[in-house]
Amino acid sequence: MVRVIFKGLASFCAIFGLAIAMAAPAYAYLDPGTGSIIIQSVIGGIAAASAFGAMYWSRFKEFLARIRGNSTSEDKADNE
Amino acid sequence: MIKAVPVSGSFRDPAGHVFEHEGRIFRSVTRYGRASFETVLATGFLDELVQTGALLPFERVEDAALLDLFPEAELLFEHPKLTYVSYPYEWSFFQLRDAALLQLDIAIKALDAGVVLSDATAYNIQFIGSRPVFIDHLSFQPYQDGAYWMGHRQFCEQFLNPLLLRAKLGISHNAWFRGGLEGISTADLDKLLGRSQKMSIRMLAHVVMPAKAQRDAMRKSVGTTKPMSQRKGLPKASYRGLLTQLRGWISGLHPKGASASVWGSYSDDNTYDDDENRLKAAFVDQFIRSVKPDLTFDLGCNSGAFSEVALNAGSKAVVGFDFDQVALDKAYHRAKDKTLNLLSLFLDASNPSPSQGWQQSERTGFSQRATADAVLALAFEHHLAIGKNVPLEQVVEWLVSLAPQGVIEFVDKNDPTIQAMLAMREDIFQTYSQPVFEAALEQVASVVEKKQVTKDGRTMYWFKRHD
Repeated sequence: MVRVIFKGLASFCAIFGLAIAMAAPAYAYLDPGTGSIIIQSVIGGIAAASAFGAMYWSRFKEFLARIRGNSTSEDKADNE
Repeated sequence: MIKAVPVSGSFRDPAGHVFEHEGRIFRSVTRYGRASFETVLATGFLDELVQTGALLPFERVEDAALLDLFPEAELLFEHPKLTYVSYPYEWSFFQLRDAALLQLDIAIKALDAGVVLSDATAYNIQFIGSRPVFIDHLSFQPYQDGAYWMGHRQFCEQFLNPLLLRAKLGISHNAWFRGGLEGISTADLDKLLGRSQKMSIRMLAHVVMPAKAQRDAMRKSVGTTKPMSQRKGLPKASYRGLLTQLRGWISGLHPKGASASVWGSYSDDNTYDDDENRLKAAFVDQFIRSVKPDLTFDLGCNSGAFSEVALNAGSKAVVGFDFDQVALDKAYHRAKDKTLNLLSLFLDASNPSPSQGWQQSERTGFSQRATADAVLALAFEHHLAIGKNVPLEQVVEWLVSLAPQGVIEFVDKNDPTIQAMLAMREDIFQTYSQPVFEAALEQVASVVEKKQVTKDGRTMYWFKRHD
C-alpha cells in the first residue's frame, strides 16, 4: 500500500515537475524581434491609413488653393 | 597559397563576407547568398543607388588569380576603400539622424523596386566626409508578398531610440550605444519615457506597443507564440506606411533644448577674426602645405575651423574628434554646408573607443583603426594634462604616436582657460610647464618650428617624430 502511494506520489511529482518545466517563460528562447513582428499588422495599418489620409488631405488643400487662386485671378480680371 | 581572411566584423551573414587583402576591399557572395543577390542585381536597383551616391560602388572581379584566394566566393566584388571607418556610437545626433534617413530612403525606394533590406543595422552605414553611404550590398533581398519588415526592431534600437533619447530626454546616445553595441533597447527606452511622452501615435506604435508585445510574448510558455509561417503577413501598403511614418518623424527630431542657431553657428568660430586665430591658421596652413597629408587627425576639432584650414591647405581628408556634442554638431554642419571632406566624430581622448564585440575584435578600437599622416592638437593637451590628470609626458608621447608629423599647441598655466579649470580645485600640477613640455616633446620628436600665439604663452609646435 505504502509502495502504491509512493509510486503515485512520485508520478504526481514527475508530471507536476514536467508541467512547471513546460510552463517556463520564453525569455532567452524568444527572438528579440518578436514584439515588433506581433504588432506590425496593427501599427502598419495605422501608418498606411494615415499616409493615405495625408495624401487626400494634401490633395484637398491643393484643390482649395486652386479654387482660391482661380477666384483671385477672376477677381483681378473683373477689376481690370 | 594564402587565402584571404574576412575582416573581423564580417561573420554574421552566411550570404557572404568582406575581406581586406593587400589594402584592397573585397566582398564574396557564397552559394547560400548567390541566387537572392543575382535576382536583386538584375533589377538594376543597386546600380541606381550607386549612381545617386547612396550605395558604395562595387565592381565584379573576374581575375582568376584573385578568385583563387576566395574559395567560398561564387561571385566576387571589389569596393573602394573607405578613408576612415566609424561607428554609430562615435556619431553626433545629426550624423545618426542623416544615417537613419538614408536607411529609410533606401528601404522605401527598394520596396518600390520589389526589393527589401534583410536588416537595419547602423553599422551598415559609413560616412565619406559628411555624406552617409550604405555599405552592405548583401542586405538586399527580393520582396515577397506579405513580408514583414524584419529590420523594424533593429532600426528602432540602432536609430530611432538613440535619437529619441536625445530629442525627448536630452541624453546623448554615445556612451550607452558604445556600452551595448546594438543600440538602445525598446524595453529600456519604454521604461524611461514619461506618461505624457508616450501619448503620441508614433511613440505608441514604435516604442510602447512593441515593448509591451515583447513583454507579453516573454511571459508566455516556450512555443506558444504563433510562428511566422502561420501569420497572415503584412500588406505592402502597411510596410511602406511604417517606413514613411518613421521618415517623417525622424526628419523632424532635434536635440532637446537646443535651437537651430546653436549648431548652425559654426561660422561664429571664425579662424580669422582675431590675431591669435590668424596666427594659428597661418601656422597650420604652412604645416599642411609642407607635409601634404592624405589623412589628418584634428583632435579637439571644435566646430572644425582648423580642419577646414587643413583641407584648404591640401590635406585630402580630415577626421576631427571632440567630446562636446554641440561642437560636433557644428563641425558636421560646417562639413555638410561646405561639402568638406571632414568627418567629425565623438571621442573622449582619455577613454577612446575600444576594440570590442565578438572576440573583442568585431569593432576596432581607436588606436588600431587607422593611422594618420598628420595630427593637429590645438588647445587640446591641457584637457588631458589638467582636466584628466594625465602626466604631461604621457600626453605628449600619445599625441606624437598618432602621426609622423603634427602640430601641438601648448597652453600655459597663466592662460585664462587653465585658470578657469583650476578655479574650483587644488593645483596639483607642479610639473606642468613649458620647459617640461618641450623636454617631453624632444624625447620623442624634433621641433621643426615654434611660434607663440598669445601673450599668455600659448605656443604652437610643429614636430617631426623620431622614427
